[in-house]
Amino acid sequence: MTEGTEGYAVSVPKGYRVGPWEVRDPIATGAFGSVYEARCAQPREGLPKSAALKFLPTGTGTPRQLTHLRELAEREVELHRRLTRPRLIRMFEALTVDDPDHPELDGATVLVLERAEGSMATLLDRSPHPPQGPALLAQTCEGLAQLHSAGWVHGDLKPANVLLMKDGSARLADFNMAAELEGTHAYTPAFSTPDYTPPELLWSEIGERGRQIRPSADVWAFGVLAHLVLTDTFPLPGGTPSARRDAGVRYARGTDELRLSPQLPDGWREIVRDCLARTHTERISTETLLRRVEEEAGTSRSPRLPRLRARRGRRSTLVLAAAAATVAVSGLAYGITTWAGDSGSGSEKGAGNAPATEKVVQASYGAGELRTDKGVPAVYRPLIVDSAHDCVQEDVTPALMAAMLKVESDFDRDLSDPANDEYGIARWTPRVLRWWIRSDGVTAKTIPEPPFSPAESIPAMSRYLCWIAPRIDAGRDGDRRVLIAAAYRTSYEKVNDAAGVPPKYRDYAARVAHYLKEYTPAEKK
Amino acid sequence: MYSIIVVPPPTTEDEHSGTYSAKRTRPQIRLAPGERLPFGRSANGNGLAIAHEGVSRKAGEITAQGAFWVLSNLSAHQTYVVENPEGAGEHIKVGPGRLDAPVPFEFSRIVLPAAGDLLPIEVWAPRHDYLRSPEGLDGATTTPAFSVDRTKRYFAVLAALCEPRLRGEPHAPLPTVDQVVERLRPHWPAASRTSVQWNIDYLAVKLRLKPGPDTADTGPRLNGKKESLVSLALRFDLVREDDLLVLTEPASRAAR
Repeated sequence: MTEGTEGYAVSVPKGYRVGPWEVRDPIATGAFGSVYEARCAQPREGLPKSAALKFLPTGTGTPRQLTHLRELAEREVELHRRLTRPRLIRMFEALTVDDPDHPELDGATVLVLERAEGSMATLLDRSPHPPQGPALLAQTCEGLAQLHSAGWVHGDLKPANVLLMKDGSARLADFNMAAELEGTHAYTPAFSTPDYTPPELLWSEIGERGRQIRPSADVWAFGVLAHLVLTDTFPLPGGTPSARRDAGVRYARGTDELRLSPQLPDGWREIVRDCLARTHTERISTETLLRRVEEEAGTSRSPRLPRLRARRGRRSTLVLAAAAATVAVSGLAYGITTWAGDSGSGSEKGAGNAPATEKVVQASYGAGELRTDKGVPAVYRPLIVDSAHDCVQEDVTPALMAAMLKVESDFDRDLSDPANDEYGIARWTPRVLRWWIRSDGVTAKTIPEPPFSPAESIPAMSRYLCWIAPRIDAGRDGDRRVLIAAAYRTSYEKVNDAAGVPPKYRDYAARVAHYLKEYTPAEKK
Repeated sequence: MYSIIVVPPPTTEDEHSGTYSAKRTRPQIRLAPGERLPFGRSANGNGLAIAHEGVSRKAGEITAQGAFWVLSNLSAHQTYVVENPEGAGEHIKVGPGRLDAPVPFEFSRIVLPAAGDLLPIEVWAPRHDYLRSPEGLDGATTTPAFSVDRTKRYFAVLAALCEPRLRGEPHAPLPTVDQVVERLRPHWPAASRTSVQWNIDYLAVKLRLKPGPDTADTGPRLNGKKESLVSLALRFDLVREDDLLVLTEPASRAAR
């Protein structure tokens, strides 16, 4: 072991050569990989004189944790290959160590990264309440906005992952957990840093593809980071990470209030409070966050980021009200819940090879809530089931959404009906879709133009249904789910006024009811 | 965000089966940290009503406290015993009138004496954490979202399920429950289909497996719970090749 690398995830001797790079002193280590300073022994155009080499032990000689490390390394390389932004640390190249004589290094992935002077974590260790804190927070937030607007989630924002450059500016780094958004959310490996994890992810369910994460998880982490930088304390009380985690759960359940440090300046208090909203739907969007952080920090607006914010119109107030309504209901959902235990395991047969497994997963995805033998196309099942689960209203079910898609378009993603101004699998009218197309509840800047992909149409449909559901008056005749579907076709006011399905839409409602019954598994009826 | 699961005692219609009395249709009550579950004979004011003449009207209260839970004994005369079913007789006693006694086990069985009968209430604390690295607990380190106790039976069951694929055949068929029973029996003589299946169900809770396609009662069930558990365990290296030793060596005494 090289001197000074005790406890390092990867120990690399000084002078070790990887491609044109010669390893110098160790810089830092994380849970998965270790970073070393390196100088370029064979200068080449496009390569700096010195860089930071991040070693991820992905070789077969590495004794432990091989599978997930490969995945984490691939994620980071993938993000760097596809995304270069001013506030994200830059990758110059990615190499693989080929050195059978050093089995512990052979096969390791090496990321050649821009060299930083330190990190926010080392800065805070040295000088709590740093005077440049607000400016650094603004730059960190700018990095998040650049990442989010490119369609990625960081997934592990914390002081150690905010690097400080020689000129004193901040950049985001460490993209092992980063994931590209698919519709409203992305899938990340099930790793997190407890003190920066939003309550909804603390004990979240973990599916076949990892766990779902939204940009709002980064917004929560930013709130924690800002509180730490400005007050030298965590926003949630407790002397240990698990005490703070439990405090976070009590806060999210509504049994405790958020008590931020009195040292926090007023403007920042509001920002941190909006980042640390109880549920992801209530949290501030990244772009609004950036605008307010820049105002508060007194830094100039970032010229590099396109301004995505539209003026808030009348309808966006409605959208906010919808988010608030959703939240009120989700608060109730955390009560004591009773459920029947799982049935036993399925078949005793093994799975086939990987691609076949993927197909099988799709074909049976959510089979407990959506029948697999009634012609719902397998390719849309994950999208339908996950979108329905994103809504806390229990009437918005996968079977309801599938029944509506069947009746609206017969699952035709290419549907185009200019006469009625309706397009795509969910028959969205562009000027209506505008209010629902964005996962953060903010109205799109412009009216979206068809074609609308299923990945846009179906989650947007779930959001709209989720907004409608609590607005249908109680005690109306008929299945509430069918009333919700009718309100999607017309409006919730018309359904409430008619005290049921308006005559004009009875045929539509009857067809939805028919397929709803057909798609619902037996025990759920 | 629940942290404690309470499995009520079997009702008279339930048949008693095996060590874990695993009637899988029994409802489970999930408690979030800070939530209380009063239990007793009275259907009024008890989240868990136990219809048995020998149980006090207000018999007690279970409160989830993050990763562990506390028990209050509200009865006038009866002592409740809380057993660790995997703990070789390890138990604590909670006397009448004792409030908020902390219970440290991941699995517990509260035994309520009731006019000659003993009524078990099972309480699981699946959020128990275990040390992952020698550096200890640190809220600033990136850690996996779950941790497992390598001395528990559920880990041996998981290792047995993962074994064929860890031995170098990435697409090997998974062992059947019966094969797992056979594999584990040398060091766990009481292993049975029921207890192995119970551990598989518990693992799904412990690893927070998203209730997925396997909950279906219709359609092809090619992608069962075992398959999901194994792919998750291998993907996140919860079981590694050197862990397969648990299949050939008795686990530490503490786990028995």
